[in-house]
Amino acid sequence: MATINSPGVTVTRTGEKGAFGGELLTVNFGPHHPSTHGVLRLIVDLDGEQIKRVQPVIGYLHTGIEKQMEALRWQQGVVVTDRHDYLSPPINNLAYALAVEKLMGVEVPPRAQVLRVIMSELTRLSSHLVWMGTSGLELGAMSMLMYCFRERDLIMDLNEEISGFRMHTSYIRPGGVMADATPRFLEMLDKFVREMPGHIDEYEDLLTMNPIWRARTIGIGRLQAEDAKVLGASGPMIRGSGVAWDLRKSVPYSGYESYDFEIAVSNDCDCYGRYLVRVKEMREAVKILRQALDRLPDGPVNVDDRKMLPPPREELETSMEAVIHHFKLFTEGYSVPPGDVYVAVESGRGENGCYIVSDGTHKPRRVKFRSASFVNLQALERMSLNHMVADMIAIIGTADAVLGDCDR
Amino acid sequence: MIAADLVIEKGVTARDEWITVPAERVRDAMAALKADGYRLLVFLTCVDHLVDSSREFPARYEIVYQLRDMEKIANLRVRAFVGGDSPRIDSVHDIFPTANWDERETYDLFGIVFAGHPGLTRILMPDDWVGHPLRRDYPVGGEVVEFSQEHQIWQTAPDEA
Repeated sequence: MATINSPGVTVTRTGEKGAFGGELLTVNFGPHHPSTHGVLRLIVDLDGEQIKRVQPVIGYLHTGIEKQMEALRWQQGVVVTDRHDYLSPPINNLAYALAVEKLMGVEVPPRAQVLRVIMSELTRLSSHLVWMGTSGLELGAMSMLMYCFRERDLIMDLNEEISGFRMHTSYIRPGGVMADATPRFLEMLDKFVREMPGHIDEYEDLLTMNPIWRARTIGIGRLQAEDAKVLGASGPMIRGSGVAWDLRKSVPYSGYESYDFEIAVSNDCDCYGRYLVRVKEMREAVKILRQALDRLPDGPVNVDDRKMLPPPREELETSMEAVIHHFKLFTEGYSVPPGDVYVAVESGRGENGCYIVSDGTHKPRRVKFRSASFVNLQALERMSLNHMVADMIAIIGTADAVLGDCDR
Repeated sequence: MIAADLVIEKGVTARDEWITVPAERVRDAMAALKADGYRLLVFLTCVDHLVDSSREFPARYEIVYQLRDMEKIANLRVRAFVGGDSPRIDSVHDIFPTANWDERETYDLFGIVFAGHPGLTRILMPDDWVGHPLRRDYPVGGEVVEFSQEHQIWQTAPDEA
């Protein structure tokens, strides 16, 4: 037995023999490889070209987000939440905002609820588009990237219109949303919702019956329903294994119970099944967007609580009280009652949760993000055993781990 | 049903149910809860209650296990308190496989030793890191940035690699 210390990890070679009498070969995979979706490193034991053992090494994108949150006031933390799962910022904001609101016992107005749903579904679409584009690229369908990023850019435009930012929107905040939707945003969204189903048909034309795509994904990366449940997989990983588990249906938040949509499930249990789940989810997202757009009620988009959100600008000129509130909020911030709370939302990758602990001061005592990528990656070894090295790309791709989310 | 002597305290905070169990019997409690239907460990983490005067805590570190029953859609948070200079608690990785990485992360960031864990190494921080960054007495900032002017020691692979 030989031990090799390479920076960041200890590898033990057992001297075990493979099925054909040769020694198992230990190969380093990543971290800087385009198909690892960030910086994921895998130490793979190979028997010939068959994978016998996979040891994921993570942490290359660890940015200490949880530590930073402890040094920021409650309302400042939103900006940091954008940055852990960098493909779905508004959903991260939503998890944090819901957690803070739950602990404070605050309910946001109906218009804000609908706007939150709109932003969540747009994000889910954009996250799945990035997934589909890059996974297609890795498995040889290069044009997928062009098509998917074309529509993703429309979502970026929508983000920019509503929040001023294309990627890290910080749009959903404790107590409501950053700003009301502009009439132009609603027009753009309406156009987007009308056109998007046609675009999804285009992607399906390119992939669903594509013989290369099918050969690379069908029967690859099997994860049975029981394994998926035991390993804590969530999102398209568990739904692709035939388990109809979607937090939007089972533990509804932000009024998701009142929308008419289906849980995308596939019984294939392989990479192709996960692909089908994501395509179906994109169609359902468009359906939800249409319903949200049709029902968008009038009214405020923030809670009417001067202790939590600043007063409107025009009030500052006439009311001393408003000036005091404004000053207090921007110097000290608000405090959250002591206690701890966990809220989970369904992101494009699965269960994206936020666990917060308050000690009653204006800064959190502890913020923990339960990230879907971190848990889903633990299923990687189960999925890739006895597959070829090249299949590893398809498996990592359809696991759709975002390493920023995984390492936080 | 979880035995009554395993539950020190129970309550509800902001609609979240929780129980406190004795740290030395955490494995019994988790096995009993798993038999009750809480078959998914959503996450496991630690909270450092150093100088927290808002409430009374039995010890400095609170290990938090969030459990879920996916059939009945019920959530339960389990707490266990450990203290001392080298906090220790039994690992639950064989009861809940998802605990494997979560325990490594908690060890990495808080220095909690999970007895019986098959490979308790750092997971997010580099292997040669000193200290446990999420402890409340670990300062923010001040680390030398790798590959900067101040960082003189260039990491090279050891000879045998």
